[in-house]
Amino acid sequence: MNSLSHMLPMLTSLDLSSTLAQGPLPAAMSTITLYHYLFTSAALFCIGLIGFLTRRNLIIMFLCTEMMFQAAGIALIAFSRFHLNHTGETFVIFILTVAAAEAALALALVVLLFRRKESLDASVWTELKG
Amino acid sequence: MLLTLLFTPLLAALLVPLMPKHAVRQVALVGTLVPLALVIFWLCTHNWFVGPPQGVGVDAAWVEQLGIRFTLGIDGLSMALVTLTAFLGPICVLASYSAITTRIRTYYGWLLVLQAVMTGVFLARDAILFYVMFEFTLVPMFVLISLFGSTNRKAAAIKFFLYTFTGSVLALAGIVYLAWFNTQLPGKLFDGSGSWTFNVAALVNAGQKMSAVQQTWVFFALMAGFAVKVPLFPLHTWLPLAHTEAPTAGSVVLAGVLLKLGTFAMLTLAIPMAPIAAITYAPAIAVLAIIGCIYGGLICWVQTDVKKLVAYSSVAHLGFCVLGMFSFNAAGLQGSVLYMINHGLSTGALFLCIGMMYERYHTRNMAELGGLAIKMPIWASFFVLFTMASVGLPGTNGFVSEFLCVLGAFQAGGNLGAFAGSTGGNLGPFFAFAAGTGMIIGAIYLLYMLGRVCFGPLKEPLGHADHGHGSSHGAAHGSGHAAAHGSDDDHAQHLPADLTGREIGILVPIAVACIFFGVYPKPLMQLIDKPVMNTVQLVESTRKEMPAPKAAPSAPATPATPAKTSTPAHTDPAKHAEVPSAPAAAAAAVQESHS
Amino acid sequence: MIEKLSTLWPEITLLIAATLSMILGVSPSLAIRRLCAPIAAAALVIAGLLAYGDDPRAATVPNLALPHLAQYGKVITAAIGLLLLLLCVGLPDRDYEAKLARGGVFDALRNTRGEFYAFFLFSLTGLMLCAGADDLIWLFLALELVSLPTYIMVAISTSRNRSMEAAVKYFFLGALGAATFLYGFALIYGATGTTYLPKIAEIFQAQYAAGGLSGIAVAGLVLSVIGVCFKIAAVPMHFYTADVYQGAHASVTAFLAFVPKTAGFFALMLLLATVGWASGEATTSGLPQPLHTILWIIAVLTMTAGNVLAVLQNSVKRIFAYSSIAHSGYMLVGLIAGPVVGDGSLQSSGLAAVLFYLVAYGVTNVGVFAVLASLEKRKAGAAAETTDEVDSISDFRGLCSTSPLLGWTLVISCVGLLGLPPLLGFFSKMPLLTSGIRAGEYGLVVVLVINSAIAAYYYLRIASTALLESPDLASSSTVRPVGIPTRPIAGLAAAACVVALSLYTITDFARFGAKYDLPHKQVIPAPSAPSAKEAPAKSPSAPSAPAAQPQANVPGATTTN
Repeated sequence: MNSLSHMLPMLTSLDLSSTLAQGPLPAAMSTITLYHYLFTSAALFCIGLIGFLTRRNLIIMFLCTEMMFQAAGIALIAFSRFHLNHTGETFVIFILTVAAAEAALALALVVLLFRRKESLDASVWTELKG
Repeated sequence: MLLTLLFTPLLAALLVPLMPKHAVRQVALVGTLVPLALVIFWLCTHNWFVGPPQGVGVDAAWVEQLGIRFTLGIDGLSMALVTLTAFLGPICVLASYSAITTRIRTYYGWLLVLQAVMTGVFLARDAILFYVMFEFTLVPMFVLISLFGSTNRKAAAIKFFLYTFTGSVLALAGIVYLAWFNTQLPGKLFDGSGSWTFNVAALVNAGQKMSAVQQTWVFFALMAGFAVKVPLFPLHTWLPLAHTEAPTAGSVVLAGVLLKLGTFAMLTLAIPMAPIAAITYAPAIAVLAIIGCIYGGLICWVQTDVKKLVAYSSVAHLGFCVLGMFSFNAAGLQGSVLYMINHGLSTGALFLCIGMMYERYHTRNMAELGGLAIKMPIWASFFVLFTMASVGLPGTNGFVSEFLCVLGAFQAGGNLGAFAGSTGGNLGPFFAFAAGTGMIIGAIYLLYMLGRVCFGPLKEPLGHADHGHGSSHGAAHGSGHAAAHGSDDDHAQHLPADLTGREIGILVPIAVACIFFGVYPKPLMQLIDKPVMNTVQLVESTRKEMPAPKAAPSAPATPATPAKTSTPAHTDPAKHAEVPSAPAAAAAAVQESHS
Repeated sequence: MIEKLSTLWPEITLLIAATLSMILGVSPSLAIRRLCAPIAAAALVIAGLLAYGDDPRAATVPNLALPHLAQYGKVITAAIGLLLLLLCVGLPDRDYEAKLARGGVFDALRNTRGEFYAFFLFSLTGLMLCAGADDLIWLFLALELVSLPTYIMVAISTSRNRSMEAAVKYFFLGALGAATFLYGFALIYGATGTTYLPKIAEIFQAQYAAGGLSGIAVAGLVLSVIGVCFKIAAVPMHFYTADVYQGAHASVTAFLAFVPKTAGFFALMLLLATVGWASGEATTSGLPQPLHTILWIIAVLTMTAGNVLAVLQNSVKRIFAYSSIAHSGYMLVGLIAGPVVGDGSLQSSGLAAVLFYLVAYGVTNVGVFAVLASLEKRKAGAAAETTDEVDSISDFRGLCSTSPLLGWTLVISCVGLLGLPPLLGFFSKMPLLTSGIRAGEYGLVVVLVINSAIAAYYYLRIASTALLESPDLASSSTVRPVGIPTRPIAGLAAAACVVALSLYTITDFARFGAKYDLPHKQVIPAPSAPSAKEAPAKSPSAPSAPAAQPQANVPGATTTN
């Protein structure tokens, strides 16, 4: 573990293009920087968001929110490695648990809806308008 | 004493719902007569010329955490208006005997609450208590209009509520800003430990230490609240609607007292709290007031509804009142305060007269009425008297106040005035001249109304004549009318053609007061002399030697107002002098006051 | 670890009760099933007393910016939770129990009573945990624990299609919000390397000192704030509110209007406390510029959109949904104004104002929804079971004469929400005004007061319909009380509070709860701090205690394990 004082200068600038960790790394990994991971995670997040806003199929919409969750997970793991502590990874385990709970809930709700209207299209549910 | 004034009507209001129906009116009457008796006793036993009696104030904890206290106090000005309120109270109750026959518990209950709250506004010496009372007048009035008004009552009630509520929340923001400024004054450096106070005297003191720019903001925030209530010209549109729809007693209270809450608040809060801004913007306010006079008058001219005409005439009359107030000299301010009282008397009485007529004819349309003097001579003589008082005929109370207001505007010199001896704000002969035009218009429309309604050949509403004995005239008609009218408007059926003893009893005291104050206004002027002179002095000192506005006028200060002890080191006095003409310096002053 | 558990007794109590309720709820015996609600009530009372009694937290967890928030949050959760519980009694399984009474066979799978109370308690547990969070992971889990049960509560609150629809909308937008603030948390972690809030605050202060927050930290905070906006129904995330409030049963709507909103405000307070309010300088509200701007815009839009949209509605539930949005906007003013260092007075500390307002709003809200939940509409000639919820304004015509207690409760609650003096609504809005002005947010205060005036229109409309109009006897459907006595009781209790709440106790408690210590125990003049109106640093009364001893490893990771 690096001490706080050691980390500070780096944090203030947070040089994104530096390699993922300060420690020695396998040669193949050294070209992949924190930046790449963050980019992936941001891309996932945005794809999820766009998908959520544009698609009307309930299952797909749910998958989009899951994608956004996992985007956060990727960012956390990358940061965890970057900061050389395990907090981020711990966080991800909790996120996975919560995501599983949400999945159970979402599928139950979707099944309920499907039973009533025989459709997965969100736009057939328009009773509440105002 | 003050608590009795405040709580007797409230107690009666609590009793009213528990009473059997026949006793409700008596309880209400007692609830309003007791304060009146108290006030009269107090007026007679105390020499108000030397100042308010000592030690009558109340100061109790209320919402400590917010620095809000239950502080009551009184001076000549508020005494005058409290007297007016107490005087109109029993009259309103009596005037409703025949007009209100359904849901009387609700009606008298809310009327009493209104009475108490209006008294509270004049007595409050804590800005938040004042605001609470000021706002709470809306609730009883809202209920009275929307339950007991005429056809379009709901819209009128909601418009009334929203207009005044919107204005007064802005005033609240102004008060809060001022209270915050007060906490920032030197000597009470911000310690974050509840040093907020809303004591009016402390706030007035603090307000005078503000820079011109700050004062301007506070002034306009406060005026936004109070001008709606008055109502000043562009904000007046709620008034005619509310008046037309309200029941008679509601109109009387509205015209008599509620409108005065606005002018009272201007005089005791807005002007002393922001004297520099008040002086700077006096011409602008006066222009609005004069537009109100003339525009209101012209609108009156084309009205066919008598009640609406009188309602618009309130807009015009209150314009004079505000004009006098913003003359900032003794004549103008005296006139303005007198106007508050006199307008309450004469316009209140006019509404009563119209209400009495309406109970008989169920119309207020001038096209359907005419020559009522033949039919109702007693009523007509009262109506003529009160109209004359409203016009401002010499010998009636209206003359004194209107004349003083215009005189004040004429004398007020300032930068525009050409007179060496001019005093007060930046008004001048131009303003007086324009207001004079308003006076003439006022005379025209009121006399025009009088001519159409009272004189000429007798003209009664069509349906009314049919229901009665065909073309029958004279006293016999009353009974015929009563018999012919079905149970649908049973409340009118017992009324004779001319006024009953009760109705005469209602109008006589007002008539006496109108003539008395027209001939001999001295007692009233003595009563209000001190607060008025305090304001004059405040304005003079602010204007002449801009730097050091002197101590707060009026208002028995509570002992523990820490701001009083502070030295004026915080905002450099010299700043004030140059501020009005130098925005940069003003900005600097703002910057500094933030620190 | 163990000492931390000792701060969680109230939550543990609620969890035990939730488990018990789940078990008892599926009992075939009606008498045992009926125990669920009393158990929940008892648990809430015990939890409230435990939380009120002693707060060992300040001792065990050093360095918190808001050391008393947890205690305050837990106590009000328990208190208002009790009122909400009174509202919800009789809601789960109403139709099902009626069917059983007519001779149906009990089927544990069709029964939702136990789940309902359990989820009710779970959600309140989440709220309590949220108030006590000192770690991002904890905060995330607490927020999810608040929300997940509410989705199910909405779905099972009635058997109508619209409840399903409301639940799905709520869930999907909730998941979107959760993902957003989760991503924000991830970025905050990235910027600081820790999830422990006091530590984050320390690092942020250091970044301030070194020239300003890093971009990634600001992005993280902004995303977190926007995500949490979902919970408080603030503008970019407010779309679900009206539909969900309308679709859910009125009792559950009352729950939604208080619990997630309160959780959201606790979360916002904790998050913003990490960056601090201009180092606690008394006269300016000094959140970092981008955060300040965003919150400012959100507050203005939230207040205005909520009120303007509410004016356009006819459904009472939609009106209260939009008004709930507007109230969140009011509270954001207090949040932007921020606290003052130490035990600030109620007028100066925006956080105390928000904490007080949350209680006032929660109580008044219970009053309104108690009336809605206590009434039902039945079509003339329809079967006895086919009742509908009261929803349109005209259903309330003459309520004060047909059922005076409910009518007056509605009128008082509406006028209270309107903020008319001398009711609770006014006294709770006052501190928002004073603290906003104290912080120099004049623009926000003006928007706030103008919005109160707009709000007057629709509150007045409802109140005057109930109070002043005569009952509509010719209508095809009749409105009548439901016959569940606890709901009017909850309403009456709420209305009584609105009129005569002992302000001193609660305001004092709010002040206590909003006690704010500087994150770093040391004033660092923030170079990048916004505001031309920034005051020259006069040495505040703030303590000059040395900076907290640096902790090399990250305590946050272990605390939640």
